[in-house]
Amino acid sequence: MIERRVPITATFTTHPYEAGWAGEAVFFVQVEGDHPDLSVQAQISPDGLHWVNRGDPRKIAADEEIAAIELTNFGGWLRLAFTGATEQQPATVLVHIALKG
Amino acid sequence: MQKVIQYERGLEKFKPLRNIVTYDDFDKGFNGWLDLTPNFVNADYRHYPSEVDLASWAPSMLSAAPMRFAATHGSMEGTYSLKLSTRPVADRYEQKPANGSMGVVLKRLSAFDPTMRYIQIEAWYAYTPQQDRLGFGEEDIRAFGFYFDLQDPQYRWMPGVRYVNSVNGTLTKKWQYWRVADGVTKKDWCYGREDGWQRPGVDNLWYGRRYPDGSADAFQWVPDGEQDLLYNESPDKINWLYFRLLIDYRRREYVEMQSMDRTFDLRGLAPTLTEPYKNINNLINPIFFVETDTNRSVNLFLDSVVYSTD
Repeated sequence: MIERRVPITATFTTHPYEAGWAGEAVFFVQVEGDHPDLSVQAQISPDGLHWVNRGDPRKIAADEEIAAIELTNFGGWLRLAFTGATEQQPATVLVHIALKG
Repeated sequence: MQKVIQYERGLEKFKPLRNIVTYDDFDKGFNGWLDLTPNFVNADYRHYPSEVDLASWAPSMLSAAPMRFAATHGSMEGTYSLKLSTRPVADRYEQKPANGSMGVVLKRLSAFDPTMRYIQIEAWYAYTPQQDRLGFGEEDIRAFGFYFDLQDPQYRWMPGVRYVNSVNGTLTKKWQYWRVADGVTKKDWCYGREDGWQRPGVDNLWYGRRYPDGSADAFQWVPDGEQDLLYNESPDKINWLYFRLLIDYRRREYVEMQSMDRTFDLRGLAPTLTEPYKNINNLINPIFFVETDTNRSVNLFLDSVVYSTD
């Protein structure tokens, strides 16, 4: 589990996660309680420092609680970038990653 | 039954006791090592309230140690090691650890041999910060270490050691062992809380007062414990180091610690013995951790770990 009930109030990126051994990855994003519409963008990196978008962003509407984001051929590093949460409309997110090599 | 035993060659770089309980090479996966979390047993799966957010520690991962400018290091033998990381956040040393400022991994084991006298952990490891800024980077790693979380029929006890590498940016490079200073109260231990479940001697890695010279309620300095551990000349280069800690399980005392080419005699020193907690008799959890000293992610890489008993 990469993020455990983390409150977000602005643009937020998950902890860089190294998974070069895996051939496929699924991020499970859960949102607890009330939240605004969120946009979640998968990103990949060669070093955990420099990031490039991978695929299209996934929308999580205010009435949705969970989303799955699939990745293959991602190299070594993975993270998610969240937008949509604000001080006025925060969100609390849990992020699991399931990996298979 | 006649046994024929053939050991893996990788064990030659260890000095295990008679019974090798686990030999974990992280080329083969996590081998049962997992992140440390609190107990999510309250309403809505909340955990017990505590002054330190025990759910915040950064996730561990299998790493090929790829670096920003240097080559990918792989592990000491093979491709992957188990990497503990921290989030890029730290409080000053004297304050309680910032949420996410540590990475902690453990393996959940138990005592199964009633004749057991000794337990020993060994590891080949390396440490470095992320190369996200110019500079040497060594002073950004606050501490790393190892402890056993144990409970026998009489006591909960946590023997362990930690390497205090840097205190508020000043290189310290001395070993400590886990023992609570005399006279420390629950209020001292729990950042002013008098209630709660935390007891002095349990979870030393984040409880107790800490002082600007690197000393702390939870730890005592190892006698003659200064050691200039090898740290390479750039944050994107690592070297593999050897560590071994031997505990007298029956006498509840330290025996010795080996770090690289030095062996520290710890006989006569003992961890703090506390009242047992419910339901966890015969607990043996080996645990590694790393802590950052600044707003920078730091990493502890474990190539392989051997836990053995006698």
